[in-house]
Amino acid sequence: MTDRYLELVNSGLTQKLAQQLGLPRPAVLRRHRPGRPLLDGPALVLGTGPDADLVARLLSSPAGGAPTTGETPAVLDGWDVEVHRHATPDVRYAAVVLVLTGVEHPDDLTAPVLAAASTLKRLRPGGRVVTLSHPALDSDAPAVAAARQGVDGFLRSLAKELRQGATGNGVVVAPGVPVSAPSVVAALRFFLSARSAFVDGQLLEVDSAAGELPTDWEKPLAGKVAVVTGAARGIGAAIADVLARDGASVVAVDVPAAGEQLAQVANRVRGTALQLDVTAPDAGDRIIAHAKARHGRLDVVVHNAGITRDKLLANMSDDRWASVLAVNIAAQLRINEALLTSGDFADEPRIVSLASTSGIAGNRGQTNYAASKGGVIGMVRATAPLLAPFGGTANAVAPGFIETEMTARIPAVTRQVARRLNSLQQGGQPVDVAEAIAFLASPAAGGILGRTLRVCGQNMVGR
Amino acid sequence: MTSPATQVALPRVPGLGGLYGRGAWAAARLAAARGTRTPSPALPDVTYVVDDVRAEPDHLTTYQHLLHEPATDALPAGYVHVLGFPVAMALMVRPDFPLPLLGMVHVANRVEQRQALTLGDRLSVRAWARDLRPHRSGTQVDLVTEVSTAGAVAWLGVSTYLAKGVRLPDAPRDDAERPAFTPPVRTGRWELPADVGRRYAAVSGDRNPIHLSPVTARALGFPRAIAHGMYTASRALADVGAARGDAFTWAVEFAAPVLLPATPDVRVVPEADGFAFTAWHPRSGRLHLAGTVTPLHP
Amino acid sequence: MATRTPSTSPTPRAAYVLGGNRIPFARAGGKYAQASNQDMLTAALDGLVARYGLQGESIGEVAAGAVLKHSRDFNLTREAVLGSALAPTTPAYDVQQACATGLETVVSLSNKIRLGQLESAIAGGVDTTSDAPIAVSEKLRRVLLDVSHAKTPQQRLQALARLRPKDLAPATPRTSEPRTHLSMGEHQALTTAQWEITREAQDEVALRSHQRLAAAYDDGFFDDLVTPYRGLTRDANLRADTSLEKLAKLKPTFGLGLDAPATMTAGNSTPLTDGASTVLLGSADWAAAHDLTPLAAVVDAEAGAVDFVHGVDGLLMAPVFAVPRLLARHGLRLEDLEYVEIHEAFASTVLTTLAAWGSEEFGRERLGLDGAFGTVDPARLNVHGSSLAAGHPFAATGGRIVATIAKELHARRASQVAAGDDSPVRALVSVCAAGGLGLTALLEAA
Repeated sequence: MTDRYLELVNSGLTQKLAQQLGLPRPAVLRRHRPGRPLLDGPALVLGTGPDADLVARLLSSPAGGAPTTGETPAVLDGWDVEVHRHATPDVRYAAVVLVLTGVEHPDDLTAPVLAAASTLKRLRPGGRVVTLSHPALDSDAPAVAAARQGVDGFLRSLAKELRQGATGNGVVVAPGVPVSAPSVVAALRFFLSARSAFVDGQLLEVDSAAGELPTDWEKPLAGKVAVVTGAARGIGAAIADVLARDGASVVAVDVPAAGEQLAQVANRVRGTALQLDVTAPDAGDRIIAHAKARHGRLDVVVHNAGITRDKLLANMSDDRWASVLAVNIAAQLRINEALLTSGDFADEPRIVSLASTSGIAGNRGQTNYAASKGGVIGMVRATAPLLAPFGGTANAVAPGFIETEMTARIPAVTRQVARRLNSLQQGGQPVDVAEAIAFLASPAAGGILGRTLRVCGQNMVGR
Repeated sequence: MTSPATQVALPRVPGLGGLYGRGAWAAARLAAARGTRTPSPALPDVTYVVDDVRAEPDHLTTYQHLLHEPATDALPAGYVHVLGFPVAMALMVRPDFPLPLLGMVHVANRVEQRQALTLGDRLSVRAWARDLRPHRSGTQVDLVTEVSTAGAVAWLGVSTYLAKGVRLPDAPRDDAERPAFTPPVRTGRWELPADVGRRYAAVSGDRNPIHLSPVTARALGFPRAIAHGMYTASRALADVGAARGDAFTWAVEFAAPVLLPATPDVRVVPEADGFAFTAWHPRSGRLHLAGTVTPLHP
Repeated sequence: MATRTPSTSPTPRAAYVLGGNRIPFARAGGKYAQASNQDMLTAALDGLVARYGLQGESIGEVAAGAVLKHSRDFNLTREAVLGSALAPTTPAYDVQQACATGLETVVSLSNKIRLGQLESAIAGGVDTTSDAPIAVSEKLRRVLLDVSHAKTPQQRLQALARLRPKDLAPATPRTSEPRTHLSMGEHQALTTAQWEITREAQDEVALRSHQRLAAAYDDGFFDDLVTPYRGLTRDANLRADTSLEKLAKLKPTFGLGLDAPATMTAGNSTPLTDGASTVLLGSADWAAAHDLTPLAAVVDAEAGAVDFVHGVDGLLMAPVFAVPRLLARHGLRLEDLEYVEIHEAFASTVLTTLAAWGSEEFGRERLGLDGAFGTVDPARLNVHGSSLAAGHPFAATGGRIVATIAKELHARRASQVAAGDDSPVRALVSVCAAGGLGLTALLEAA
């Protein structure tokens, strides 16, 4: 789907016109291309203490060289980024990382935040601001909790101020989890990278030190076998593409009726096509049997298959309600049950489900859809502990307005408005959702348990 | 077979176009004479002979394609008939031939092929007429054609023609009725387009107007052009196929003419000793032709 | 990719059906009206590649064919391979044996695998009657050839001058027998009458075919056998809701001029159909190396032919003679087969075949047996429906049947073994074809 408005305000005369009229000017987002550097400019690491030092070393160490810390080698190689520890005037930073894990009082925020502020006007297009912090807990001293929770409000507000495709996100590191933990490192890298182009204003919790960093950041899913449901088109096809790009063998699943497109996707990603209705009672068994027989194992299941049957609740038919719940949540529960009991999904398995901002903030006319997507959020939260003993995780991604065949059917004016209702003032692409899913599916994300990551450009609705 | 001792050697196989002209002239002469006297009961006591006849490859191929025969170097028995036919025709247009060429109907044909003839064989053709005899609706005559190669008779054809309405003096009327025909189960069908008469005329030289077009056929009393009897008989022989062998007798009797275009039903089936064939009109059930192909046992 | 050079072995090894894929069959002039043979075969290949993850794979050989074929498709299968996701280094060749084309590709490729000549192969077939070649008239063809051979403009003009307006009319393709000029239906009508097959019996065969195919679709049996194409997700000819009453209302279309009552209708005859099918074949080693499960071994095959030209036997009766020879070679009787697949060219083709096998007289006099050859329990016959319901894109039918029954064989054997029964499970596949041909094959569950 093309966003004509986005094209107009980024080219030629219309660009100038939009500037003069003060119209919203969404930027063309930088997206991941294999082989591109992580950042296209220097990074500023703010904050003091061992965590900040570690982050600075991680970013600045040359690729292939192992940065050493006092504790364990955090990663096999560094990210080869030019790192500054103090804001240098006139430098256009590509990223600002605020390591705030040590704050114990709201006053502790002042220095790093103001240092960051001095760089913002010269932040490069598509720049990144990432905070690293600890969650505010009930057991915290009030000042500590205030400082930590303050990071949340600060970050979400800053994200709304950033322009030109820049994003602000935060990694929230659970107590006891070192900043060198694989999921913290991987989440930091994800937020810095072009892979998180449409993720904005989000704070992602890392719950444990589980997980394993990849030997090759371009192939974080090497050797993994991933099933993607609803893979014939749209977001599902993009997920298959991205998982395959990241090194996974992909089993592309969709209903038999979508087989023609499914075959094209499977052939494109050099995976296998499995024509299957996910609501079939034996869907889980058939997925496991296919993955085992054809690929020898099963590591990742992406529950992407979903339908909408929008209607105001007052006009909702039984069938509209039931079919949405059946496909969007009941099928996932049944397949997960089969996965958990099979014994073949026990080697650091990953479940990633598609939720929706509708399931968080609600959406008029989507009571059925929102119920199912809210259900997904609850399901992954409760499923993650069941998988954790095997090093497994279950998480969800909640897309906002994504340019798909589905959103293309929204009436034009409504669509234009919906697109602008977020900090990036545009709809996301299916690949943006896919990148988040690939991240959560990766071995490095093993410490992220039962979370829902929004891919919405910081949509104004909900958290 | 005994042939008249008087032999007339023709320098080459006569062209049939000219023969039909002479036949038409002879027919007019006979018609003018009709009523004043009956035809002479005597057949010309002469054997026409043409030596050193050879098949032309292109001509043979055209014939084979038209008749659905494989285009091999073997001369189909019907093709040998085509080679010899003008010689017999030359006899029939002689001024002393007692029956009119035009309007004569081919009612039966019998060929004995004793050995296979092939492209390149030097053939000698002998033709004579015999057995002028009464028929219930006119007078019949046999035209015998004998084709030899290397001194041995390889092919012997007897074509029986009927001159309708021409009565021999004092001849007893042959009132034998044909047995009634009930169509059997077909094994196939022929699809005979309107121009098949013209195309067979072109390859056989037999340009009798009844085969050429509806207009010329109507002039001679037929509603549409009719297929050559020998064309249909040769199609039946082709349907028998390779199973006929090299030496066989191929006999056919012609009944109702095939008005073109036509899709007669046909039945070509093995019989005790050889094959039987029949063709009939699919709706009226009228018999067109029936015959047999029987191996010649040495 | 490492290419293995298989060593030829003096003793044949097993060749297995590893899977299959076809596109749904469309009625002529329907959803695939604009698709060519090459389009459809490529789609069927791509679906197979997608199902089994064969992208970029160099398959030993691909053989397929079409009965109605454009002259431009002189290398149809190779062109389809080049357009597919298979490696361009995959060799291919065309096969044409009328309606037996598809099965013959399975048989010949299996034999190559059995000989050690190939490790893997894809068999297939495709046909379209919507996009059938139209030829120019014989006269126009000759003239055009002469024009192209002419050396001077004058010669060209002379050649062109031979043309008459009627020569410009196209020659429509024909499916009637070249030697008898009777259509297949007209031929089968003769056989139907000869064996006194009733209208009711034919309609029952048709009904069963539709019901079984519909049930198989509903059960998801075809989920891993069929890939939708051009918006068609099931065979367009399938009428799940047909009934004997509806079938009985149809007017007979064949055998109208016979003494016996005409019994063959559009309901109990296959319609003209467009479609394509493929079958993945391989050795045990290749299957293991590619994580593929052998479904059934292609054990043996037997071709037959009858003299229908001279009315000795019905046009479509060749399998009646081939199957007894095939089974005799393995010491098997009809009763030893778990499944019998008889291509439903017409409902009466199945019934005349069974009638001949069930006839004491025919068995003694024509098959050289002591009595009747045997009977087939309808429960074992065309268990997931056949051509009457699915349709019959001539060359694609063999692949459809083989892939379907191979899956069924494997499932049956698995459940049998689970129940402690290790006895072999076999299927017979029988396809009649134009020209009085028949091709039959014996499959055994792996």
